[in-house]
Amino acid sequence: MTPTTTAAESRLAMPGGEISLLRGGDGPPLLFLHGGGGAGAWSPLHEALSRHFDVIAPDHPRMGRSDDFESFGAIDDLVLHYDDLLDELGIPSATVVGASFGAWLAAELAVLAPARVEQLVLMAPIGLRLPDHPVTDIFLMHPEQRVAAAFHDTSRAPAMDGDIDAFVQAYRDMSAIAHYAWKPFMSDPKLEGRLRRVRARTLVVAAGEDRIVPRAHPECYAERIADARLVVVEDVGHALDVERPEAVADVVVSFLSAEEARS
Amino acid sequence: MKFNFFHLAPYPYLPEDWEDHHETMSLDFPNGNFDPEVGHGLYHRYLDELEYAESVGFDGIAVNEHHQTAYGIMPSPNIMAAALARRTSKAKIMVLGNAIPIRGNPLRVAEEIAMLDHLTDGRLVSGFVRGIGWEYFAHSISPTRSRSRFDEAHDLIIKAWTSTEPFQWIGENYEYRYVNIWPRPLQQPHPPIVMAGAGSLETMRWCAKHRHTFMAVISRTETIKAWFDGFREYAAQEGYEPDPEQLGWVAPVYVGETDKKAIEEARGPIEWYFKKSLRQPPGAGLPPGYMSTESLRTALTKGRIPNFDLSIEELIAGGYIIVGSPSTVAERIHALQETLGFGQLGANIPVGTVSQQQTRESTDAFAKEVIPLFREKTAPVAT
Repeated sequence: MTPTTTAAESRLAMPGGEISLLRGGDGPPLLFLHGGGGAGAWSPLHEALSRHFDVIAPDHPRMGRSDDFESFGAIDDLVLHYDDLLDELGIPSATVVGASFGAWLAAELAVLAPARVEQLVLMAPIGLRLPDHPVTDIFLMHPEQRVAAAFHDTSRAPAMDGDIDAFVQAYRDMSAIAHYAWKPFMSDPKLEGRLRRVRARTLVVAAGEDRIVPRAHPECYAERIADARLVVVEDVGHALDVERPEAVADVVVSFLSAEEARS
Repeated sequence: MKFNFFHLAPYPYLPEDWEDHHETMSLDFPNGNFDPEVGHGLYHRYLDELEYAESVGFDGIAVNEHHQTAYGIMPSPNIMAAALARRTSKAKIMVLGNAIPIRGNPLRVAEEIAMLDHLTDGRLVSGFVRGIGWEYFAHSISPTRSRSRFDEAHDLIIKAWTSTEPFQWIGENYEYRYVNIWPRPLQQPHPPIVMAGAGSLETMRWCAKHRHTFMAVISRTETIKAWFDGFREYAAQEGYEPDPEQLGWVAPVYVGETDKKAIEEARGPIEWYFKKSLRQPPGAGLPPGYMSTESLRTALTKGRIPNFDLSIEELIAGGYIIVGSPSTVAERIHALQETLGFGQLGANIPVGTVSQQQTRESTDAFAKEVIPLFREKTAPVAT
């Protein structure tokens, strides 16, 4: 997806390399952390959020148009990176919204720096180690199978053409996820116990037809975070923010604007 | 020209309806399909075949490492090498190789190879491989660490073999406060090293840089040629011209009485090997991070993504395999040697479902009617 005119793309030097980031909208700052497939995208969800917030959507190190950050090898590198990024941008605290892998990062950031995360939205989050509810092994799938697993209605998935650049880009993005989350598989074993530190008003969004992350994961997040509620968006697969961005935007914006109204 | 007898040790007895229920015989094909009695017989049959190859004049006998698969039942090639060590006396014993990135403890590999070097009276050739895609799943090692773990394990093993004082090793992947292996290897400074590779640029560059032998695995002739040319180019950048013996090629080989008979006899076994045993679990053929984006782009743009769903005729025509009468096989090897410039051939004679009897006959024919032609041919040149 190409950025619309409302989002500006820029590059920013960070310790370890340069990142690419999209930024658009006015209002309080909102850090948007993409999932495995969302690097570089400015979707209708971003668009909807940007009507209320200053939306900052960076590509994770090693993904999208961001550099390789050779020294990065684990999830904590990314968490500290986002703590640094907020410093770099002069943002003391923000609303943080994450999808899937990005939701995991968002939760970790809220654990590391509870005061920095005012509101937290976790969409189809991974990151918890629940051995009885294993996350599907997306690494063991063809790209086509991965799409079939991530989307409830695959006709809503972005078209996969035979473009070599797109294939190599998708391989690089998936390689980054493998780099950060191969073992422990898609999880931080200590995260569940540490969620007690999260102070943010939190919304956990579960995808009704998630075939990658079992429902127990969003449920567990909602249970362990003190001020959290769980909402299920029906008729959508794991890649909920890509598959039905408008429906997801309704849920997320109404949660966040309830806070606006309150303050 | 060196001839090595290369064994993969497949478990060739799949259930008849295997294809209806399984995409692959690796990673998640249930090990209930391994019959302990049958498997026991296979180990002894395969060791016999390796020992026999030495007795008929092969320069080397080669074993290798694979995990959780009917493709090859040698998860520890060092154990096979140990079993061969004192039953043989002339041939090089080639471990092709230890998959060092997926081993948790490379120091253990250094120790075992050093021991094997003594048990084989210094006949050991130490291969290092990266391991096949599914094996990263099987041993829970991130494929994105493959290159870094490989390089570091290699450097650590060489240093462990060559150092005469205890040292500390602190690297990205491994940490040892005390490295001081007993025994040191018999061959000094260390056993020769072979790297098996499927054309990744990094592998060839690395191999050329260290002046190790590069052993190309199965592919078609043009692809192998591109790999070898690449290797020679990297060697030139390092300021040397590689000896032909520094380039090896591994290929399924079957020798029959006539071309027609050979093709008839080898069709089943070889097509089993290519069409069935080489099939990876979906996604494991190209695990995330296993290839650099540079290598992936090269492979995609040059059409070097292998397709093994081929008939025996297509495999012969593509140069993946060598099958035929002794004279056809000899001519073919000669022609390929001219084209590719390799000095070592790893003949995978016990390929796929080939029977014990067929293996024996094909081994005999190769040893008695093919190898001697090359010995005579090269003898005058050598003097």
